[in-house]
Parts: sequence; C-alpha cells; structure tokens
Amino acid sequence: MKRNIFLIIIGIALAFWPLGGYQEGIIILTCINCIAAMGVSILTGFTGIFTLGHAAYMALGAYTTAILTVRYGVHYIPAIIAGGFMAVLIAWLIGIPTLKLTGDYYAIASIGLGEAIRLIIENWQSLTRGSRGFPGIDPYTTRFTAVIIFIMLAIFTFNMLESNIGRELKASRDDIIAASLLGFNTPRTRMKALLISAFYCGISGALLGGYMSFIQPSMFDMMKSTELTAIVVFGGLGSMSGTILGSAAITLIMEYFRDISQYRMLIYGVLLVVIMVFRPEGLMGSRELWDFLKFGGKKNNA
Amino acid sequence: MSFTFSTFVQQIINGLSLGSVYALIAVGYSLVYSILLFSNFAHGGFLVVGGYACYYLLTQWGYSVPFSMLGALLASGLTAVVTERLAYKPIRERTPITLYLLIASMGVNIIIENLFVVTVGGRIRALPRSTFPTGVFNLWEGITISSSDVLSLVTAVIFLSLLQLFLSRTRWGLAIRAAACDIKTAGLMGVNVTFLISLVFFVAGVLAAVGGVFLSVRYSLYPQLGNITTKAFVAAVIGGLGSLPGAVAGSLILGLAEMLTAGFISSQMRDLVVYSLLVIMLLISPAGFFGKKISEKI
Repeated sequence: MKRNIFLIIIGIALAFWPLGGYQEGIIILTCINCIAAMGVSILTGFTGIFTLGHAAYMALGAYTTAILTVRYGVHYIPAIIAGGFMAVLIAWLIGIPTLKLTGDYYAIASIGLGEAIRLIIENWQSLTRGSRGFPGIDPYTTRFTAVIIFIMLAIFTFNMLESNIGRELKASRDDIIAASLLGFNTPRTRMKALLISAFYCGISGALLGGYMSFIQPSMFDMMKSTELTAIVVFGGLGSMSGTILGSAAITLIMEYFRDISQYRMLIYGVLLVVIMVFRPEGLMGSRELWDFLKFGGKKNNA
Repeated sequence: MSFTFSTFVQQIINGLSLGSVYALIAVGYSLVYSILLFSNFAHGGFLVVGGYACYYLLTQWGYSVPFSMLGALLASGLTAVVTERLAYKPIRERTPITLYLLIASMGVNIIIENLFVVTVGGRIRALPRSTFPTGVFNLWEGITISSSDVLSLVTAVIFLSLLQLFLSRTRWGLAIRAAACDIKTAGLMGVNVTFLISLVFFVAGVLAAVGGVFLSVRYSLYPQLGNITTKAFVAAVIGGLGSLPGAVAGSLILGLAEMLTAGFISSQMRDLVVYSLLVIMLLISPAGFFGKKISEKI
C-alpha cells in the first residue's frame, strides 16, 4: 500500500513538476520506454523466457493506433487500448506454437518472428504506407497521458507480481519441472506472461506513435528488440524497480548524449559489454528497491 | 514475372553464389556455437573489420590483392581473439549462463560498427573494381555468370575444404572436435582450453573476413555491412547450430530460396521468406537438419 502511494506521488511529480518543453519530451520518452521494458521484464526477468523480438509488438500497437486514429477518426484512448490488444492477439497466435521452444531457441524464433512482423508491415503498402512511414498522427501523447498510463501500469505490475500470477511466473522461471509437478499449468503460465508483455509493448508503441507523430517500420527493428532485453538485463533480471530505473537511466544517458550523437551508439555498446563483464546481475540483481530499505529485513520472496 | 527456364537457371546460379558467401559466415557462427554454446552476434563486426582492412590495404597503402586479403584475414582473426579475451572470457569464467555472452556479443557488434562510423565515417565505399576480375561469361541463351560469382564460389569451396582438412587431419582439429563434444572432459584430457577457444575464434574471424571481402565486392563497404550476417545466422540455425555441414547446407538452401523468391515472386519478399523459413524450421525441428538433438534432462 505504501508503495502504491509512493508511485502515485512520483506520478504526480512527473506530471505536474514545471519543466521546459525539452525536459517534458524526455519524461514522455522515459515513460514510453519504461512501459515497454516492464513488459519485457515480466517475460524475461520474471518468467525466464528470453525474447529478441518484442519491438514487433510495439510496431503492432503503434500501427494499429495510428491507422485507427488517422484513417477512422477513433478517439485516441480506445485506439491505444486497441493497439495493446492487437499486440496481444498476434502474441497469442504466435505463442501457441512457439512457446513450446525452450532456452535459446525461443530467443532465436523471436528474432525471426519479430523481423517477419516488421517486414509484413513494411510490405503491406496499402495499409501502412510501407517503409516511407506513416505520418500525420495526432500528437495525443502528452506528458499527462504518458505519465498516467505509466503509473497505472506500474502499480498494476507490482501488485500482480506479488499476487498468485506473480508467484506462478516466478515458479515456472526458477524450475519449470518442479512448478508443473506442484500443479501449475506451466504452458498457460508462459502464455499469460507473453500476452501481458505483448500488451505493455503494444501500449508503449501506441504512445510512441502519438509522441513522434510519425512511425516507420525501421523504428521497430531487431536493434530495438535487443535494446529492450538489454535494458531488462541492465536493470537486473527479476527486479521490476531495477527495470524501471535501468530503463530511465538508459533513456536519460542516450538523450543527454544527443549532442555527440556520433558517439551515442558507441557508448551504448561499451555500456552493454562493461555491464555484462563486471556486473552481469545488473543494477539491482533480483532485489527490489525497497528490499534495500529494510534493515536486516527478510530476504526477497522471489 | 513469368516462369522461364533461363530465369530459373540464372537464379540458381545467383543463389549458389550468394549461398557460398553465407556459408563462409555461417560456419563461423556454428564453430563458436559448437564450443561455447552461444550465438556470437559480434561475428558481423569481425566481417566489417575484414572488409575495411582489405579496403585500406588496397587503396591507402597500395598493397597487392593477395597481400591485402591476407592482411584482412589476420586483422579480422585477431579482432575475434581480442574480443574473446576481453569480453567473453571474464563472463564465461564467472557464469554458465550463455545469455550474458549473447548480450555482450551484441554490444561488441555495436561497438565495432560505430567505431567505424566514428573514425572513417558511414560513407559507402567500393573496393577498387580493377583489383578483382569483373568479366561476365555467357553460358548460354540469356544465362550469365560473373567472374566475381565464380571467384566467390571457388574461394568458398577452397576455404571450407581447408577448414575440413584442419578439423579432420590435425591435432588441434581433433582437439576442437573433442571440445565440441564435451569441453570439460577435453580440458581434463590435457587440451589447453583457453588456447583452443582463441584458436576457434581466430578461425571464425578469418572465415568472416573472407565473407566480408566478397560481400564488399558484391555490394559495397559500409559500417552496417555486418547486419547481413543475421541471414548467415539464420542459415546456421536452419542447418543446425553447431554443425558445420549443416551450416553449409543451410546457407545454400537460404541462398537459393532468397534468389528464387527474388526471381519469381518479388525481391521485397526475400527477407520475409528467410525469416519464415527460420520460424518454420524451429517449429518442426529446433535442432535444424544436422544439429545435436537436445532433450531436457530431468
């Protein structure tokens, strides 16, 4: 309960603290990236399914919302939600056959699926305008919208992870065989995790479209997917607050280095390698922020 | 486009030529996977290093073609070894989780790509045309084969045979095959595992450089050229990760599929076909055509 109030206070601060236009943009972008990272964290950090294709779900959300608002004049709130559910629908269709794959093979399949979805979007010229991109999206992602959606999803995520679903996910991550012997329906658990994470990424993509007013298939390539998974590892596998902090940190670093944009990607690459070499458990390990605040308190219940 | 026999034969030739370049790259992925069980995404970076080394040796320092090739192979091989020592060794000594290696390798790929962007710029360069034979042979009615196609096919065959000889006839080849079976036991039998892994990376880097030089002749040279290795990786998966004959077979299948799609359906569908093949293969048999069948131990 304390945590929910804490998150709401952060949300109010993010939404109303007086800032210049540039800083507002960074807050919006941070919220968008955090939403996608939370989604990938649920799948990768808490269920142990590594994905390298989640940018495709962002693309699905972005294009669904863009097409609904621009072509059909739908209000942006139902359109964003539709974007999220479009990603869920496709994830469900994809998940039925592919979630049987374990370990590296799911990651490899997700590369293929992610790229395939991007290429379909790119080649479906009549619907998506292909690689020229989709311009003229209403800038519906204001700072207020982005922060509200982010905080709502964050509160939902933290509470979900401590509910039965959260325990189910962690059980099937830690030992899938033991979990299924204990009576968890592990294939359904894995599917739940995939669908939830696809929903987050769809919402995130929809918001990104509204923030940029322009989307293009190349924004959602393998590079972006890798970035999402890398951020989750950077924050700490199995730590949701780590994911949010890591995502915010990476977004801020990348934004403030925009002046030396040539070196931006170089720094990002070095960061990835250095973290993997020196601190592979990420910023927070598998602990949450408040685990540090309890003195000699109980160990994490993951 | 209507189905014509000559287009068909022409696309087969193009597909084999493309497949042979993929094979050189895919074998590198499979070699590393067979030993360390992770997909080394920095492979594309090694390829770019080879391409640029060849370019600068040829144009800036004016060396001959064979010498520049040799320089490219060495540069790329050494990059691979240094990468392994600096980035992968500390990780694999600390944890058995290969995901960390995978992410580190993606980081290395980004570093190499952007080092070139920062130092020499993202400009597209072409290897001097005069240095490689450019003639086009007319085989028969409307079917042509360019000498660079012939050259890449022949070189691929030569290098892959050399690799096969190295693996099957030398002591270190035997050690590598042993390590592919079980690296711990190989270490216990007196194989210097650290050196062996460096050697594997060197060989993979050399093969990547050959692929890199041919790709920069066929297309052109730019820092993002390494992204093409994603397709070679797909080929390695289709053939079965960790299997060298699999990597070659997968590459030829992929090259043919890509070129036949380009010839008879649409060249925009090429990549889609590639990734669909990957997903279909993984669903039918994740271990590919030749890979080791891995079953979960309970």
